Amino acid sequence: MSITLDQVTKRYQGVPVVNDVSIDIGDGEFFVLLGPSGSGKSTLLRAVAGLTGVDHGRISLHGRDVTHVPAQKRDVGLVFQNYALFRHMTIADNIEFALRVRRMRAAARRERRRELLRLVALEGMDERLPAQLSGGQQQRVAVARALAHKPEVLLLDEPFGALDAKIREELRRTIRQVQRELGITTVLVTHDQEEAFALADRIGVMNLGRLLEIGRPDELYTRPATRFVATFLGAANLLLARQTKSGVRFAASLTDGAAAEVAQGAREHEVVAVIRPEEIELAPQKSALASSYLAAGTVEEVAFTGALERLRIRLSNGATEAQLSRAPNSDGDALLEVTRSQYEQRAFGVTPGQAVAIGVRRIHVLPTPLSSFTAYAASLEQATALSLHPLLVELASRMRTRVSARITEEHGRITGAAVIAAGTDAMGKIEWLLQEGAEEVLVLPREAGPPQRVLIHWADDAARSTTLAVAASLLRHVAAEGVYIGILPTSTPDGQRPHSMRALLDARSEAQAVHGLEMRTELHFGDVAPELARRLAESPDQILILGISQITGLAARFNALLGSEARSPVLIVYHPQDARA
Amino acid sequence: MKPLRQPSVLPGFGLTFGFTTLFLSGIVLLPLAALVLMTASMPWSEFLRVITTPRAMGSYRLSFGASLLAASINLVFGFIIAWTLVRYEFPGRKIIDALIDMPFALPTAVSGIALTSVFAANGWIGRYLEPLGIHVAYTWIGVTVALTLIGMPFVVRSVQPALQEVQRDLEDAAETLGAGRFYVFRRIILPTVLPALLTGFTLAFARAVGEYGSVIFISGNIPMRTEITPLLIVIRLEEFDYRGAAALGFVMLVISFAMLLTINLLQAWGRRRLVATGH
Repeated sequence: MSITLDQVTKRYQGVPVVNDVSIDIGDGEFFVLLGPSGSGKSTLLRAVAGLTGVDHGRISLHGRDVTHVPAQKRDVGLVFQNYALFRHMTIADNIEFALRVRRMRAAARRERRRELLRLVALEGMDERLPAQLSGGQQQRVAVARALAHKPEVLLLDEPFGALDAKIREELRRTIRQVQRELGITTVLVTHDQEEAFALADRIGVMNLGRLLEIGRPDELYTRPATRFVATFLGAANLLLARQTKSGVRFAASLTDGAAAEVAQGAREHEVVAVIRPEEIELAPQKSALASSYLAAGTVEEVAFTGALERLRIRLSNGATEAQLSRAPNSDGDALLEVTRSQYEQRAFGVTPGQAVAIGVRRIHVLPTPLSSFTAYAASLEQATALSLHPLLVELASRMRTRVSARITEEHGRITGAAVIAAGTDAMGKIEWLLQEGAEEVLVLPREAGPPQRVLIHWADDAARSTTLAVAASLLRHVAAEGVYIGILPTSTPDGQRPHSMRALLDARSEAQAVHGLEMRTELHFGDVAPELARRLAESPDQILILGISQITGLAARFNALLGSEARSPVLIVYHPQDARA
Repeated sequence: MKPLRQPSVLPGFGLTFGFTTLFLSGIVLLPLAALVLMTASMPWSEFLRVITTPRAMGSYRLSFGASLLAASINLVFGFIIAWTLVRYEFPGRKIIDALIDMPFALPTAVSGIALTSVFAANGWIGRYLEPLGIHVAYTWIGVTVALTLIGMPFVVRSVQPALQEVQRDLEDAAETLGAGRFYVFRRIILPTVLPALLTGFTLAFARAVGEYGSVIFISGNIPMRTEITPLLIVIRLEEFDYRGAAALGFVMLVISFAMLLTINLLQAWGRRRLVATGH
């Protein structure tokens, strides 16, 4: 491996800006770190270059641990967004800078400079000053300068950011060509998904300091695992749906199993479905569709963009219920985004206001467990008030999902995660909800903000995998650290302890391997509930994810955490023991 | 040749150019012309005699020598002060930053008297220097100290904005290319702030040459040894020797102008190299 990052964490004033990131980048690979501004991608790149220290974790380059090696001795080449050329030096001096530092002989320097200028197609520019070159040329010089000392890895920090579209594309091609020619391991940071697709062998998507997913561009585009990656990599319609044995059911219709990949043996439950705009088919009526029927709709907007036509369609017959693409509190209804090729336009032209039948060719179901939230309380007013709890609103908007309000005693299918207020009657409500079929119950104290730390614990081992999946889903949406709390009863005989330690390590590797979740681990000794309560009391801004597989005796076991004296939010994850089918 | 009037977004070229000419003529050129005229009314031989008396020669040496030395001291320490203020966050930074301007605001006579009382043989610092054989007050050292004090803000204030503009990226780039701290300073930071540093030096030097108030208190004004040219001019005036005073003033004018012109040309040359096409 050329670059290995192991649980790299960097904090600014206590807030993690790079949060437990682990990546292995192979020899000669072109790796793109993609994320919005403030996602920590540039900080991570600077950490690899040695310009920023890390608080936790290790960085290795070609098997050499460089975590504490200064930038001068790391042997990397770094290219900046604003070129960072030395303006008082000629192009020749700029390129030879690293060679001069290394006291290379003048003749050898000249030879290497010629070679590099040829590589970036700037022969004969030696004696110019940077200010006499165009932006694209300056960035080429910066690339040549970064390669002069034959570094082991090339790092590019938004190298095209300051250039206009046409030059950007040209330079992109040059960089890809140079990278292939030299076979140098390269990491590029960008917020532009098009750029990432054009260049990357693999892409790592970052948000809120966390590395959400890694994969080949096509893999990430067609089979994202998270809402963020689905919507950040190209346009996507997110819809709530029910996954059943026979297929994916939307509020209005049932699409057959052919369109979506049905998870084997899954219980029927609410899921988030991703439909790419180009996977949608329009027809005059349902019978004319070649693909699975989704809903009927009305065309709201038609925009011609050259090769493609962009449409926005309002769903009718109740299917709007299912839509998530917009943040829940944004103005206006969510509209289905559709793109069609010239060929499709000719086959069936549409105008605004026209009624159409909508079909989908391909649906991708996200494996994310927290699909939506429903606030439960004794009256609808209380439930609505609870649904406006700041933490809940924050979570819902970050997860791009919806919060609805319902009355506790009302029977009916429970969808998504249930939310209740902490208090003396919380225990009763939790038991009722779990018996009704809820899989996750979030218990909120009156005041709670976005957490900085997510504590993870499962009281019953059967709930482990589900708990990890929920924890991974939550941690992708908040800038918090995940900490697994292992608790060993004080009465444990010494012979049992190695076994418990192994369980702890197993938990961490399962989290990493199956859910892509990086977390730290802590081992405590004592009784479960008091120990968790003590750990939660240590600091505010923590949330506990508690996995259980038995409802009976819940009150007796966890009253201290969920009763009226509760100070921290608790998310209960229920995985019934008999549900493994 | 550029056209005299260049199109500009701001109106009023005629008016502003008129003001510029008027102020330059009325406030700068006219008095200088009077000085030249007054000198010109002197016979050549007398002019030469007046300006080459041993006392005059001694005063030139002190005035220009101490000014150069003070400006050089300021070049080094002013840079360090500016660096500290720009690059580090520390409690009291704002206060120190405000203190820099104090020598501008203080009446120069006050700083002169204050310095004298501190550096006199029985002053706070002077009493410890005296046993070591270092006499500050009433020697050329005292003159240099006074000129350093009043010139310091010029260097700090010129260098500060230039240092703020040195992009951290440049230093980061140099570091990843393998350059050590000192190499980065010498090859990257220094060349970038050099024009500003030179400006500060020029201003500090010019101010020191013309300084009068603070020096006369600490120098003791011993002819040939601690007498600066501006003081000698005042002495000539008090003797009603207007032409002698004018001759000395003229010499100062010529030397100052020559030195400032040289520094400015040097600077312009450096700037042309740095920003060839105005980036």
